[in-house]
Amino acid sequence: MKLEVGYIDIRDICFADSSRLEDGVLYLDKNALSEIVLEDKNISKVEFEIAKPGDSIRITPVKDVIEPRVKVEGPGGIFPGVISKVTTVGSGKTHVLRGSAIVTTGKIVGFQEGIIDMSGPGADYTPFSKTLNLVVNMTPVEGLAQHEHEHANRMAGLRIAAYVGELGKNAVPDETRVYETPSIKEGLEKYPDLPRVAYIEMLQSQGLMHDTYVYGVDAKRTLSTIITPTELMDGAIISGNCVSACDKNTTYHHLNNPVVHDLLEKHGKELNFVGIIITNENVYLADKERSSDWTAKLAEFLSLDGAIISQEGFGNPDTDLIMNCKKVEAKGIPTCIITDEYAGRDGSSQSLADADASATAVVTGGNANELITLPKLDKVIGDLSVVDRIAGGFNGNMAEDGSITVELQAITGATNEMGFNKLSAR
Amino acid sequence: MVKEIERVGIPVVHVCTVTPISMTVGANRIVPAIAIPHPLGDPALSHEEEKALRRRIVETALKALSTEVTDQTIFEVK
Repeated sequence: MKLEVGYIDIRDICFADSSRLEDGVLYLDKNALSEIVLEDKNISKVEFEIAKPGDSIRITPVKDVIEPRVKVEGPGGIFPGVISKVTTVGSGKTHVLRGSAIVTTGKIVGFQEGIIDMSGPGADYTPFSKTLNLVVNMTPVEGLAQHEHEHANRMAGLRIAAYVGELGKNAVPDETRVYETPSIKEGLEKYPDLPRVAYIEMLQSQGLMHDTYVYGVDAKRTLSTIITPTELMDGAIISGNCVSACDKNTTYHHLNNPVVHDLLEKHGKELNFVGIIITNENVYLADKERSSDWTAKLAEFLSLDGAIISQEGFGNPDTDLIMNCKKVEAKGIPTCIITDEYAGRDGSSQSLADADASATAVVTGGNANELITLPKLDKVIGDLSVVDRIAGGFNGNMAEDGSITVELQAITGATNEMGFNKLSAR
Repeated sequence: MVKEIERVGIPVVHVCTVTPISMTVGANRIVPAIAIPHPLGDPALSHEEEKALRRRIVETALKALSTEVTDQTIFEVK
């Protein structure tokens, strides 16, 4: 499967009378945007703001971050099974409005939502302080159930992203890259001497608003399966998560998965990137056993020489991670796991809830319990009053000078387990 | 908590969903629960069925508590 991705560099975003993309500047019509959000009767009010790198702006509670993209050629449309028809994507041509993002916020949905600071020390811990953000601030109708509120916010963000992405359909890309995954047979013939490596991507699927969707299917109702790298680039996987902000994979992460991109970079040179096994993280032990068994079975079926496994979230998914690791290793296939740590504020506690002797290669996104003080910023988009209740916040964490103290857990993308962020130790 | 209570000489049964973690942390008597959000019940069942299920879990736990073990043991709920 082959996809040509045209990257259009966005230099600025501003509001205007009509929506368009000209010379890398996104002009957005607020009325048109409002209509798109308010077509869902569960949302009573919406406001739009622009947050740029360096602005004295704090966005919280952040629900999802989405990159605007559009399908230019080939079958299907962006976010298949959710916004577009369910047609298989990942081939043809796609345009990306690189450097821009849609950020959804508003009244809190679940307690596990995040903070994006556009400047100050907090900005260093989130990749979304470096993007030009259109912030969608939504208020639900009175009495809306939590899960309906989550659904309304999720869908509105995706609709807005699709609308903005569409503006780039006829633009001339600043850079074009071609990504290709050969069939099993082609790969074997083309790269007979290269090690066969797959990426095992674990999807958060604990339920109760800890969900991920694959072609519109709730991942907790899926069996482990195979997906190609370019399908991800067309939005085959989207986030429906209200899970701890630091290590949840937003839709933006799924679209720009760094493990996928790094493996593609080495594909045909150092290794043969065979594809991606997606597997879930459910709350029933039988599901954990079944999904990890299937992961190992697929790894063996693909005749892998190695696998990289990334986790999403923490706590009981640590067990899914370890099960995947040890079962794949038991097939004689070496693995490297990517996770993060909840090692206590002083870093001295056990980092993961589960462990196994076969987990010998581990990459960490950092310690999510580490404390950070975020100074007052001039403007807040969303609702600051909940930062003592979000995961990583705590009672009394708002000082009189307007600063807040939180664990890194509260910052969107801070310890991302795809390795999207840049936390490192000296 | 399981280990600390056992340290003072009182046997403990750990009823939990993710038994591998219970094994990792070193519980001796383990009874598998239903699911993480509802360990001791199952909202998919009728009230009568659920009550029967709860009783089976508790009875399994009591049986485990009165059973001598020499190694970490998982007592399946029948």
